[in-house]
Amino acid sequence: MSVAPPLLELDGLSCRFGGLVALDQVSFAVQPGEVFGLIGPNGAGKTTLFNLISGLTAASGGAVRWRGEPIDGLGPERINRLGIARTFQNLRLFDSLTLRENVLVGLHREARAPLLQALSGNAGFRARQAALEHRASELLALFDLDGRADDSAASLSYGDRRRLEIARALATGPALLLLDEPAAGMNPAEKEELCALIARLRERFQLTVLIIEHHVPLMMRLCDRLAVLNFGRRIALGTPERVRHDPAVIEAYLGGVADSGGSP
Amino acid sequence: MIDHGLLVQMLIGALLGISVYLPLATGQLSLATPAFYAVGGTLAALLSTRWAALGARVDGSFPLPSFLLELVLGGALAGLLALLVGRLVLRLQGIYLAIATIALVEIVRVAILNLPFTGGAVGIFGIPQPFPTAAGYLPPALALLLLAGWVCQRLEVMALGRAMAAVREDELAARCMGIATTRVKLSAFVLSAVLAGSTGALAAHFLNTWNARQGSFDTAVTMLAFVILGGSRSWLGPVLGGLLLTALPELLRPVGDVRLVLFGLVILLGPALFPQGLVTPALLERLGRWGEGSRP
Repeated sequence: MSVAPPLLELDGLSCRFGGLVALDQVSFAVQPGEVFGLIGPNGAGKTTLFNLISGLTAASGGAVRWRGEPIDGLGPERINRLGIARTFQNLRLFDSLTLRENVLVGLHREARAPLLQALSGNAGFRARQAALEHRASELLALFDLDGRADDSAASLSYGDRRRLEIARALATGPALLLLDEPAAGMNPAEKEELCALIARLRERFQLTVLIIEHHVPLMMRLCDRLAVLNFGRRIALGTPERVRHDPAVIEAYLGGVADSGGSP
Repeated sequence: MIDHGLLVQMLIGALLGISVYLPLATGQLSLATPAFYAVGGTLAALLSTRWAALGARVDGSFPLPSFLLELVLGGALAGLLALLVGRLVLRLQGIYLAIATIALVEIVRVAILNLPFTGGAVGIFGIPQPFPTAAGYLPPALALLLLAGWVCQRLEVMALGRAMAAVREDELAARCMGIATTRVKLSAFVLSAVLAGSTGALAAHFLNTWNARQGSFDTAVTMLAFVILGGSRSWLGPVLGGLLLTALPELLRPVGDVRLVLFGLVILLGPALFPQGLVTPALLERLGRWGEGSRP
């Protein structure tokens, strides 16, 4: 049999911080090309899951496999080089650098030049540099940020900062993009735009997207499949339609049947 | 009129300022520069006084090629030491890294003080002179400063320089961008050591005598003041800080002991009045625009 392994596979993943169980035996697989959503109430373990995948936190049990190979225990820089890039729930831009420089940092693997060439700044280096800056401008243009390429990242509005972070992550050339609440703090119009943008990016870069977001209607439209976490456990998995009608999900979001009458 | 000897000392101050600045450009507060400066200086002092093949003559003169060779060797030895030590100490962050590097400075100082061949507390005397006057040291010191400045300037457009800035801004985010942050920090640390080592070799000849007191905790604090007064966002900051703060005690000599008070005031008031240092990105931008505007 030659069935291709899923792009990303979580197998019984657990994470404990002291006595707190942040993730408990979570398993699911992300197929190439799909937009996979992760929803759940605050504190359900969604961001912890991202931290495990991207190598920032060590798992207490279970395995993460990337194209069939185990990747748990690798540092975040190794994971990124394998083709997994992420954004952060509380934005971590390089604030005092310009927008262009933020994206250029993401492009650093393409920016590597022979030392002597770089020190002398000869024609070869300058041509390479021009090509890099062009790539950076293209990426910024995708997010309508190219007009402000020379402004500092700190000067951007909240929504623009979110978009710049996605641009920077894309610059590292990922196959899988992890988006941690990309629409947080955006107004409804911006959320609509973001939704269209993610769809466009997926087409253009043949991306697979794993996305955490609280805005459920947006997730229902955007995602091919969803996993629902509650108190560190996966309580549902499937198409948006199936998840929407799952009794366990309804209970997690709206409370149990007994106290459903008591909510305001 | 500033005499040539003071000018050379100012250039040495500027070089050491850049050496402290390089790890800071990756967000690492390292005070190890005096240790590498001492290693380079001691090596040059030993080689030129003990190793006849370098061609030191009885009249105290020294061939220029041997002097240049010592600059290279001093930098190389310091760089090698930084490579070994850096792997260990760069695991530490913030104030802990600062303390570990202060310890390194002390270890090197005590070692030079007690090793059987470094002259003990008296140090090494009569280091031969490649130049007949102090003015002769100006071209090599200036060349070293230009070389260091040029490397710093190139770093701004190189992948390594951008990675250094990214690590300074947010190390964790930089790692998630695929940057091997340990290697970036180590590169800056080694570059800083090479510069300090070469500067030490130059200073040993210039000062004519060398001892363990050349690299002490006091010097580390003075060098840090170069960067704090000058500014840590561009290599021009520590250069300006190094030039000014080295010149100041000498220029204030006419006022007697009050000069120490005035020097202290400058170090105290500098950061209070210019929290970002004298050379800030905004200032450089304004200078850049002014430069463009004045072009025909």
